Amino acid sequence: MSAILEIKNVTRRFSGLVAVNDVSFDLQPKEILGIIGPNGAGKTTLISLISGTLPPSSGDILFEGKSIANMPAYQRARLGIGRTFQIMRPFPGLSVLDNVAVGALFGRGGGNAELARARELARAQLDFVGLGKNVDQRADELGGPGRKRLELAKALAMQPKVLLCDEVMAGLNLVEIDEVIDVIRKVRNEGISVLVIEHVIKAIKSLSDRLLVLHHGEKIADGDPETVLANQAVVEAYLGKRRA
Amino acid sequence: MKALQIPAVLIALIVLAAVPWFGSDVLVQFGINALLLAVLAQGWNIIGGYTGYASFGNSVFYGLGSYGVGIAMVQWELPFAVGLAFGVVLSVAFAILLGIPVLRLKGHYFAIATLALAQVMTAIVSNVKIAGQNIGLVLPPLNNDLLFYELALGLLVVATLTIYWLSRSRFGFGLIAIRENEEGAAVMGVNTTLYKVLAFALSGVFSALAGGIHAYWVTFIDPESAFDISLNVKMIIMAVFGGPGTVFGPIIGALSLSAISEFLSSEITSIAGLFFGVVVVAAVVLMPRGLADMLRRFRTTGWRYFAENIKATRL
Repeated sequence: MSAILEIKNVTRRFSGLVAVNDVSFDLQPKEILGIIGPNGAGKTTLISLISGTLPPSSGDILFEGKSIANMPAYQRARLGIGRTFQIMRPFPGLSVLDNVAVGALFGRGGGNAELARARELARAQLDFVGLGKNVDQRADELGGPGRKRLELAKALAMQPKVLLCDEVMAGLNLVEIDEVIDVIRKVRNEGISVLVIEHVIKAIKSLSDRLLVLHHGEKIADGDPETVLANQAVVEAYLGKRRA
Repeated sequence: MKALQIPAVLIALIVLAAVPWFGSDVLVQFGINALLLAVLAQGWNIIGGYTGYASFGNSVFYGLGSYGVGIAMVQWELPFAVGLAFGVVLSVAFAILLGIPVLRLKGHYFAIATLALAQVMTAIVSNVKIAGQNIGLVLPPLNNDLLFYELALGLLVVATLTIYWLSRSRFGFGLIAIRENEEGAAVMGVNTTLYKVLAFALSGVFSALAGGIHAYWVTFIDPESAFDISLNVKMIIMAVFGGPGTVFGPIIGALSLSAISEFLSSEITSIAGLFFGVVVVAAVVLMPRGLADMLRRFRTTGWRYFAENIKATRL
């Protein structure tokens, strides 16, 4: 099977700082790829490069074999790339339902033009992530865990082929983490490829088919979770040299 | 819309349409002004209220609409309707050409950039021969206030229907998403640049039509009055007072503030401006989300509504 998403030697500089340095990897169809790394490793930058909110300084990004590196964010969304934000950014003045309806109105293939139908799809998506009871609330009235789920529902309403999750488990308790893991597994079972950025190593280890480690913007390991987490360089990146 | 709202709106519309038949000349003239201001407030509502871009450039559209009618009727001796269409074309062209660079700016920067546009336009038009330079243009008089009144009302109806459509269409949701979080809108598939320019142009269409009607009504335009920035401030105050991003808020704001301002300036001439300022300050502190929001929420929260808003502004 050919990869749905290919990252080829992508670099992103912020004036002097190299946030992502010559990173290459690919995402296979129906795969859950985990990306971990210490703070400042370049994880969120990487997601922004793929979703198109930041242009890469060099390198190429292919989606279904075609370069998307110079495409504006909205076109990538219409191709089928959905993302969540680590710093949750709902549309605060809109109801939870309408927040998600925006995803259904636009999203993949230009979305669904009819508001009533979009709201219907949004409702189904909210049930799916467990926010079915909160549809009429204003988005800024939701608590942290609720907003994480809302971020997921918004991205899923776009009917993406690839879902990029930026720390959807941060700040959740163990029960809530299990619930989100469950949702992400169900998403994959529907045929969507998922890229998960996470801090909670335990959660990502059980969730990912494959794990990739970023450190100072560089890829230092890539492989099955068990092997990667036992890797000497990874342990050093996380715990420092002496203790390892 | 709720079941009761449709008859209420229709009755209000019939009463408004009947005003020239039972009202005095003064009332009709007040009405033309107030209705045109309401159209301007609705026009601003599209770019400022729905899209979240506080435009100070809408008086440019108004001015271009005035000059469209002025130039077409005076210099080319074409009918009024052609002048209106010419003004709209000028406005849309302006919205597209200048909207693309200016709409890249956000927040205060956008406001300042558009503020400069009105000043620049005054200077440019003052030097354009066909526009009568800084002397202005005198249009052929048409003494028919009934016609101007009904035209203004008709335009307000069209503007309001457009905004009603916005509030429940894909396009309108795109604009609201841009207002609420532009980056979030883009990653969900909203073509933000295109939508912003379209909103700016649509806002310009209504402002230009209002300007064109006003020009023919007062029969005189000059650069100072056509591109008057205080008119832009007025439309913002009215839209925000009534409730930006709502369907009827800007109309309520425009009509009520016009009435208050008219009453004050006839009753207490010398300090009317001061009182008007007090009304606006009080409104901003007590109901920052506008009359529409206040009326909706007052029923459930009661007087606490005002107390909460005062607390929220951290006075």
